[in-house]
Amino acid sequence: MAGMKTASGDYIDSSWELRVFVGEEDPEAESVTLRVTGESHIGGVLLKIVEEINRKQDWSDHAIWWEQKRQWLLQTHWTLDKYGILADARLFFGPQHRPVILRLPNRRALRLRASFSKPLFQAVAAICRLLSIRHPEELSLLRAPEKKKKKKEKEPEEEVYDLTQVVLAGGVAPVLFRGMPAHFSDSAQAEACYHMLSRPQPPPDPLLLQHLPRPSSLLDKTQLHSRWLDSSRCLMQQGVKAGDMLWLRFKYYSFFDLDPKTDPVRLTQLYEQARWDLLLEETDCTEEEMMVFAALQYHVNKLSQSGEVGEPAGTDPGLDDLDAALSNLEVKLEGSAPTDVLDSLTAIPELKDHLRIFRPRKLTLKGYRQYWVVFKETTLSYYKSQDEAPGDPIQQLNLKGCEVVPDVNVSGQKFCIKLLVPSPEGMSEIYLRCQDEQQYARWMAGCRLASKGRTMADSSYTSEVQAILAFLSLQRTGGGGSGNHPQGPDASAEGLNPYGLVAPRFQRKFKAKQLTPRILEAHQNVAQLSLTEAQLRFIQAWQSLPDFGISYVMVRFKGSRKDEILGIANNRLIRIDLAVGDVVKTWRFSNMRQWNVNWDIRQVAIEFDEHINVAFSCVSASCRIVHEYIGGYIFLSTRERARGEELDEDLFLQLTGGHEAF
Amino acid sequence: MGESSDDIDQMFSTLLGEMDLLTQSLGVDTLPPPDPKPPRAEFNYSVGFKDLNESLNALEDQDLDALMADLVADISEAEQRTIQAQKESLQNQHHSASPEASNFSGAGSLGYGANVAAARVDDLPPPPADPVLDLPLPPPPPPPEPLSREEEEAQAKADKIKLALEKLKEAKVKKLVVKVHMDDNSTKSLMVDERQLARDVLDNLFEKTHCDCNVDWCLYEIYPELQIERFFEDHENVVEVLSDWTRDTENRVLFLEKEEKYAVFKNPQNFYLNNKGKKEGKETNEKMNAKNKESLLEESFCGTSIIVPELEGALYLKEDGKKSWKRRYFLLRASGIYYVPKGKTKTSRDLACFIQFENVNIYYGIQCKMKYKAPTDYCFVLKHPQIQKESQYIKYLCCDDARTLNQWVMGIRIAKYGKTLYDNYQRAMARAGLASRWISMGTVNAVTPAQPCTGLKTGASQPNGQVPQAAPAASAAAALGDAQRPAPGPGPARAAVLGHRLQPVRPPAGAAAATSRPADDFLPPPPPAAWDAELPRRRPRSRRLAPLRAAAAARARGDRAPRCRRRAAPPALRPEPAGPPPAAARRPPVPPKRLDGPGLPAAGGSGEQDFMSDLMKALQKKRGNVS
Repeated sequence: MAGMKTASGDYIDSSWELRVFVGEEDPEAESVTLRVTGESHIGGVLLKIVEEINRKQDWSDHAIWWEQKRQWLLQTHWTLDKYGILADARLFFGPQHRPVILRLPNRRALRLRASFSKPLFQAVAAICRLLSIRHPEELSLLRAPEKKKKKKEKEPEEEVYDLTQVVLAGGVAPVLFRGMPAHFSDSAQAEACYHMLSRPQPPPDPLLLQHLPRPSSLLDKTQLHSRWLDSSRCLMQQGVKAGDMLWLRFKYYSFFDLDPKTDPVRLTQLYEQARWDLLLEETDCTEEEMMVFAALQYHVNKLSQSGEVGEPAGTDPGLDDLDAALSNLEVKLEGSAPTDVLDSLTAIPELKDHLRIFRPRKLTLKGYRQYWVVFKETTLSYYKSQDEAPGDPIQQLNLKGCEVVPDVNVSGQKFCIKLLVPSPEGMSEIYLRCQDEQQYARWMAGCRLASKGRTMADSSYTSEVQAILAFLSLQRTGGGGSGNHPQGPDASAEGLNPYGLVAPRFQRKFKAKQLTPRILEAHQNVAQLSLTEAQLRFIQAWQSLPDFGISYVMVRFKGSRKDEILGIANNRLIRIDLAVGDVVKTWRFSNMRQWNVNWDIRQVAIEFDEHINVAFSCVSASCRIVHEYIGGYIFLSTRERARGEELDEDLFLQLTGGHEAF
Repeated sequence: MGESSDDIDQMFSTLLGEMDLLTQSLGVDTLPPPDPKPPRAEFNYSVGFKDLNESLNALEDQDLDALMADLVADISEAEQRTIQAQKESLQNQHHSASPEASNFSGAGSLGYGANVAAARVDDLPPPPADPVLDLPLPPPPPPPEPLSREEEEAQAKADKIKLALEKLKEAKVKKLVVKVHMDDNSTKSLMVDERQLARDVLDNLFEKTHCDCNVDWCLYEIYPELQIERFFEDHENVVEVLSDWTRDTENRVLFLEKEEKYAVFKNPQNFYLNNKGKKEGKETNEKMNAKNKESLLEESFCGTSIIVPELEGALYLKEDGKKSWKRRYFLLRASGIYYVPKGKTKTSRDLACFIQFENVNIYYGIQCKMKYKAPTDYCFVLKHPQIQKESQYIKYLCCDDARTLNQWVMGIRIAKYGKTLYDNYQRAMARAGLASRWISMGTVNAVTPAQPCTGLKTGASQPNGQVPQAAPAASAAAALGDAQRPAPGPGPARAAVLGHRLQPVRPPAGAAAATSRPADDFLPPPPPAAWDAELPRRRPRSRRLAPLRAAAAARARGDRAPRCRRRAAPPALRPEPAGPPPAAARRPPVPPKRLDGPGLPAAGGSGEQDFMSDLMKALQKKRGNVS
């Protein structure tokens, strides 16, 4: 081959020397010098390099990176001439897969090996396969934001999970083993990593939450989107180095076929992304909505802490009313003679007690007065005294359809239930004041069930009582702790610190003891959900927000003199006034004919039906990002259930690429 | 078993006694429950009448008949349940016995035993003559793995408990007599039981009124006192809604067409693509093609979560308990209606919650300009369903124009009901589609028997060259005529009920039909799609001209159909092993509507027959009293 010499040592063929560095782009790296000709194949060159190094090692993942051209030499049958490589080329012989640290949607860090040579689209797909997240086309990687230097020392060393040792067999769908993909069950470390991935994280420290950067304007929200990496080029080409921190996020807000059964990691990570999105005020919501989100987070956290991660073995959700009644009845049958089966079924427990009642009326300032109160089925009756109970009550209220609002202050020993009872004439308001937690829990549970038209015979009564008691004890331990008086880590871990569940602006607006009852109130509507149901509900509520799933970029429309915001959602483009935040115009993708990018002047031109043409240049992010967003959403809309998880990568790259020439 | 048959007897006698009461005096206060055991009087009262006396007096002859038929249907259902109960207990005995008898190899023997048991469920009682006999589904075959003794006992016990519960449930069913106002100012009274959804009631009304069943038909409630009104959503439980009315209410239920009901699904662009000013909105209104509409709906209703239309704008709000109206800027979100407080912007964080939808229904306000001095007449009202009188808890909002009003009302309904609304629409569409198919069939059917009468002219077109014979055709016509009379010849009539497969062979008519239309068109929808399958059986009643007895019989069989959708296809639809001649098989059903009833009584089981003759007696008595 190359390198024929005469006896005097002169080379007589057209060979020349090629220097190749071994390692990852390190100028001081060891290098080898080979004798090659223009006709040498890359494969042959690789072989020679390995021979030269003369070290026993698995070189199979190694390939040659051409630094000047920012290109991998992956076609082993191509010759050096075909690649156009001359003696001055700076070539590096290094591994294609290199470790990176991923910041996951749940904000935990994970070290794993990512492909530096394949297009990002494929690299992300491989990562998602490793993490067992389906539909990797919805995710992508961002560069981590640059850190401010001065804060560096304060940051405690965080735990970095490591998956660099885990190797996935190619082409085979991951097999489930012990309820998790088999490759996670190799070591305890990997298993812990899977739990981190598939279980929701506890609420963040409220103090930390306050210090994290939050967007204060639309302009701030555009910042994030300038950091997306390019899907059609590899990590190496985009200047990512081994050991760099990258963010893994759901990029396209169009979640296909979200299935709690097959998607534990995907669901959890999506939930986490949604949660952080709301906590950091990336997506705005109203106060009422925030309370529901907080209640769901509390519920999710409670379930995942208590270890009820596994689904209730298929029986619970399937039980319909009849079955529930049956199982109820069966229990009763055990203890009673068969003759009074029906009697025992019809017997419904009732509550009777002395309670203090207050009915707000106009022009009266009367406080609570004690009555004898009987709560039967869904009806509440009260009498002046116990002796008069057989007679006509002072008032009788059917609680079906009523609103039940807790009015509780544990430290003040105030246990009130506010009832808004509908009647043909309107709503009547009534307060019940209980003596202690036990009494309160029983009556409260009864009221809640009654408002849904169920009686205390309902199987959920006991669990409802328990839930209320649990919640009260939470309030006692943790609820008092406000942002100003941070409690010890133990107390806050055990109790409910509402500040970890809401966006910081609510921390400023409400005291913790104001927030807790409101979250409690919202919680009663979701208390029966399972872990995945609660997560799914959270995601759904997030998706229902008007501002959900809009990615903002700053652009300048053709013919306009000021910068404006372009919002990109999964079905439309929105032109937004930068100063006011008002929607100026909406274009739907379904009306879009074509879009073109002029890479030279960085302008995107879109044509819609009826000859509507829109053109803008991109200011805050490169027009590649806008182009990729549009193409990506078009691609996602072509997915069909029938095709399953197969991905038409060519189509994706066709729709999002096309700027290699640039 | 002995007990339960006693029960039936007792029930029957009670019922008959009470029916006598009904027919003689029309003065009873409550409609009697078929099952005397639990006190049910308080459950039955009427809606749309001042009191029950009036309600019964107001009933027209025909209405009363229908009501009684309803009642009868209940009884026969109860009866069938008991029969089934007997069967089940028999089966249980058999079931528990068989493994012991042949317990040589666990799974196999048990599986066999189970099979036998299952087969005997079908065989035990005399094969039901009624094709749509309302037999509950035979219990699912026991699991193949061998059950231990305890498990079997547990199983048997569970079955018994289920039965008891079913009975209890049945006994407790609340029923209302509802007077429904038609759009032609007439009224119809019908019995609505507490398990029926608005959809069921609508289906019921479709049959009674021969309307075109399109999706715009709705039940509509009107509160004259509050001057508000709204549609029943198809999934709403009618009795539940009506129980919120006060006894002396003037509220009415209407049956009418309202295109607003499903407007969003017909023209989603009017609701979803509307934030660009009215002029353009109108443009898109015309431009949107069917495919785009579909994708828009898919996008809005079929995702992980539904999309509530973006809706915001200034509305007038009637202040609590005052006469003045205040203009405020409102926004609709999935979580409720919000407004922009004074001096704030309309960003999410500044919004104040006006109302959430959990506990309120949405109504149209009628003539609020007059009543409440509203700025316009385009009002919508939010109130708790139980509030029936004027109250500060009722919220009145007023829009600038009708278009905005419709957008708000629809938007709120979407936010409140979510995907259910779309499901309702699809069911309504399916129903409307079926109805139109049956109507077209009905017209063809009406033509078919007439064809032979036109003589040889039609015969010439017959491909098989058969000369149509006047005689059989005439006899068929005679049979048809017979069937319309109260005392029918059971033969042909019953054949028609049982379906085309049992149809006596009448070559000329059959051939004529075969030429007039591809045979497949005439086949009833396949039985496994139960929703489809029951329609053919129910549809015929809509045009019945038959007298009461036929009606009663039809009801006895058909009226329970909606609740037994999971059940196996009626025997009539099973392919006959012998296989009828192809000509017969392809023959379209002779208009079954005229024939469906009369065959039944003669062929019915012994208990039923007795019962029916008793019923006849009771009715004759009644007729005597009336005339």
